[in-house]
Amino acid sequence: MITVQNLKKYYGSGNSQVKALDGVDLTVAKGEFAAIVGASGSGKTTFLNIIGGLDIPTEGKVVVDGVNLAGLREEQMAVFRRKKVGFIFQNYNLVPTLTVKENILFPLDLDGSKVNESFFAEIVGLLGLEEKLKVYPAMLSGGQQQRAAIARAMIAKPSVILADEPTGNLDSRNGQNVAGLLKMTAQVYHRTLVMITHNLELAQMADRVLYMEDGRIVSK
Amino acid sequence: MLANNNLKICHRLMWREFRFHKGCSILLVTALTLVSMLCTFSFAIGFMVRSGLKYSYQIQYGSTSHILYYGLNSVQAASVARHADVKETVRLKVLGLLSDDMLGYRNVKLAVADDGWAAATEAVPVSGRMPEADDEIAMDELTLQSLAIPRKEGAKVQLRWTPVDGGEERVDTFYLCGWWKSPMGYTETCAWVTPNAAGRLCPDAPDYLDLGVTLYRPRNLDRQAQEILREQGADKVPYTTNLAYNRARRQRMNEKAFPFYLMNIAVVVCGILMVYNIVRISTVQNARFYGRVKSLGMSPRQIGRFIVVQAAYLCLPAIPAGWLSGFVLYMVTAPYVLLGTGGEHPAFLFLNPAPFACSALLTWFTAFTACLLPARLVSGSRPAEAMKYTGLSAAIPAEDRSGAKKRRCRVPFMALYGIRRDKKKAVFAAASMCLSMTLLCGFWTQYISTDEEKYMREIAYCDYLIADASTANSLQRYNPASHSVTPELIEEIAGQKAVTAIGTVRTMEIPMYADEAGRAPIVESFEGENEEGVVRKAYMSGSPDWVSGYEKFRTTGEYIGIASGIDGLAESVILSEGEYVEGVYDAERFAAGNYVIAAGASETSFVSTPPIGSSVEIGGRQFKIMAAVSYKGHIITGADSREAAFNVSYYMPVQVFEELFPECGIRNVLVNIDHNSQKEFEEFLSKKIRDTGIAVKMRSDYQWEFGNALFHNYVIPIFVGAVLFLIGILNFANALVTGVLIRKKEMAVYESLGMTQLQLRRLLVGEGLMYGGMMTAFLVPAVSLMTWLWTGWWAVYSASAWCVTWKYSLLPMWIALPVLLVLVMVIPLGCLHMIRKESVTQRLQIVE
Repeated sequence: MITVQNLKKYYGSGNSQVKALDGVDLTVAKGEFAAIVGASGSGKTTFLNIIGGLDIPTEGKVVVDGVNLAGLREEQMAVFRRKKVGFIFQNYNLVPTLTVKENILFPLDLDGSKVNESFFAEIVGLLGLEEKLKVYPAMLSGGQQQRAAIARAMIAKPSVILADEPTGNLDSRNGQNVAGLLKMTAQVYHRTLVMITHNLELAQMADRVLYMEDGRIVSK
Repeated sequence: MLANNNLKICHRLMWREFRFHKGCSILLVTALTLVSMLCTFSFAIGFMVRSGLKYSYQIQYGSTSHILYYGLNSVQAASVARHADVKETVRLKVLGLLSDDMLGYRNVKLAVADDGWAAATEAVPVSGRMPEADDEIAMDELTLQSLAIPRKEGAKVQLRWTPVDGGEERVDTFYLCGWWKSPMGYTETCAWVTPNAAGRLCPDAPDYLDLGVTLYRPRNLDRQAQEILREQGADKVPYTTNLAYNRARRQRMNEKAFPFYLMNIAVVVCGILMVYNIVRISTVQNARFYGRVKSLGMSPRQIGRFIVVQAAYLCLPAIPAGWLSGFVLYMVTAPYVLLGTGGEHPAFLFLNPAPFACSALLTWFTAFTACLLPARLVSGSRPAEAMKYTGLSAAIPAEDRSGAKKRRCRVPFMALYGIRRDKKKAVFAAASMCLSMTLLCGFWTQYISTDEEKYMREIAYCDYLIADASTANSLQRYNPASHSVTPELIEEIAGQKAVTAIGTVRTMEIPMYADEAGRAPIVESFEGENEEGVVRKAYMSGSPDWVSGYEKFRTTGEYIGIASGIDGLAESVILSEGEYVEGVYDAERFAAGNYVIAAGASETSFVSTPPIGSSVEIGGRQFKIMAAVSYKGHIITGADSREAAFNVSYYMPVQVFEELFPECGIRNVLVNIDHNSQKEFEEFLSKKIRDTGIAVKMRSDYQWEFGNALFHNYVIPIFVGAVLFLIGILNFANALVTGVLIRKKEMAVYESLGMTQLQLRRLLVGEGLMYGGMMTAFLVPAVSLMTWLWTGWWAVYSASAWCVTWKYSLLPMWIALPVLLVLVMVIPLGCLHMIRKESVTQRLQIVE
């Protein structure tokens, strides 16, 4: 599902060069839940951004669901993100001017795709958002916002869900709940899930835990 | 799979953005309304100036038709009218030309009434109607005045005219049925009679007519005129093309309108800055918004559409509001910019949809460019970078690295650091303020330095110049038999309390003879060269009447002398204050009646009169020439006969003139008044001359012209300067607002470290005051110096220096500076109040 070969991402040059990723090789199978842990600055977010098409590598190959990202133009990359990847960010990144329902359906609207009403109802029910569909993100708690972000990530039935510290802004109880929901929805819909976290306890929920240090995966 | 794009989502997204950020949206719409208003105004004024000039060229040409063909037969005319390039035609059947000498330089055709031709040449009766009976005639007012015919329906009109078929000059009698006011510049017009009258007057008139042609595409008129003729097989038919469509004239029209169009560049640039500055308040949010939607799969094409939609949403209310306000501004200004539209409001006379279209286009361009800029900020970034955009440079100024260790963290130092961190913004705000303030102060100084008294002294010899009805227009030949200005009227005027001085001018053309000695100095002068080495008579080569008059004088000694009887104010203006070329004016000897003062050319550098002391015979009486004065043409209105194009004027006392020419009327009256009673006097005068055809150039006309020139030259620039200044203020305010708002987290950090609200206020007010102080320290000397240099130069060297008394003033700056100082204190405190609505924890969580 995700194949990464010799992935490098360098910032700057000469003495001030920073190696955010320095030769990462990784394969994540379809339906697998992989957690990436590591200290701040170890390259986790950069790695996730690159496999999600939010950033471009200095070197290396990334193939997601059969799509080699190296060959994509900007327009194609946008459509790739829209169709193949579902993102969940630490700060939710919901569009503040859209209601919860509109936020969830946003990837479909961007694509001009029809809404599968039963799937929408199912996912909203699963995440407990039925009562909150008409409100704006600012009126939700952090946990509710993150659940809306999870629904949004799932709605277009992407092959891969990428979650960057999805519980980072939540208290531990809410964090556990959201992580649980995330795992459950990925399992229910057979999605590949890659999650970045600082929290080792949460990471243990994954099928596989990867440790990153200085831009490399040091153990699996 | 990678090609699907839904563009409709952009509308929903934009509509929500628009509704959610109401305050910002209202500000943006207001700014764009301002842009739309100024663009509508300047384009409309530019178009009006262009159309006005085109109209004046059409007046010079005498018709709105593009081509005038002369002497076509009716078959040819019908064939031309059917031509594919011809939009419409109007016809004129000319019977003859009015040949009364009193018509002077004007060409009046006796013709068969034709509504189309009349409309194209502005010869439609406004009072009365077109002729219906065989003995009726409709004519223009100038012709009526020249021929001393009263403007009254049924008035008897005795016309001397010459048939075009070469017949003898004849005199026919008609009765006036209608008249109209010809545009002042028209040298050609018609006197309309019925077709039956035409058949009676010229039963054997040939089948010839003139045809006015309007084309679909009025370009290359000469080529089109020839092609049309060639296709008729009538190459030899004479024609003329409308001057208004001539390339040089078109270029002139564009040159005149160009400064107004140019103003739009400043408006658009300032508009973009203004809108961008409003958008910039939320740059970080905008950049992150783009990053966020990009990360969710919004494609560049969708983002492009989003920006287009955003601009359209902003323009939707702004453009109509701008059109309306711009039009109102245009309506108020137009009468001051364009004169001589005959009482019609120029704003409506030359109304055109093009300025509105241009304004809409530029407003949209402004909105689009300003909306594009925040997107451009993150366009090169990956979504991952855009989502983390902070708008701050990571670089630390070199001085800070060295200075940081030396000083402790005090509020004033922190304030100074806050300003230095935003150096670019501060420099930009200072530059735009400096420019706009200099413009304002400069134009203000020019406005108050333009001296009405100086202007009046230079432009007018007297407060009121009253002209006989036959000389109301410079093209009209003065008719000494007109008598519209009566001695009773003069007596009544002189009896007004307000009048301090009054004088009259009477003139009569008389054939005169100069012997060899009499002509010698004149011939020597005109055959001689001036300081530039040019033979003087060469300057008059453009006037064939003058040339033939001079040649006749040189070879035979015969010429037209103009005897002028002057008294009172006229005598003092023309003679007492005159510039003498030769001899000395002695008022007592002049009043005795045996002497005349001669006047030739208006130049004082050469003699253009018979010798001083020589005798001339005027009206059978001998006079000696006392002195030669330079000719003051402005005082005597109207035109003399064509034969008098070359002449010598002889001034004599009125009593003597009346003895010689008792039948001659009064041509001009000069009046000076006590300026405190101007209003009452003008009311009296207007009432007195109503419906008499008498023309008066009033003191208030001069004042109006002065006010108009002032408005035209300075008020519009002051207005533009004020708008630029407003934009400068907005930039300045924006720099203050963004300076606080983007530091929400920083403020939260200070608070978390124990900074009190009072200390925060001190920090921000300190920053503001330093900012304002630095701005003042820069603006005061810079604006003072630039304004001083600019207006100082202008007062001495500009074309309008003759009516300037330099009054250096920086009033706009002194008004603006306190406003700035208030802003630097109020805005940061207001912003602090706003950001403190969010808790310290909330602000600390902001990701930067």
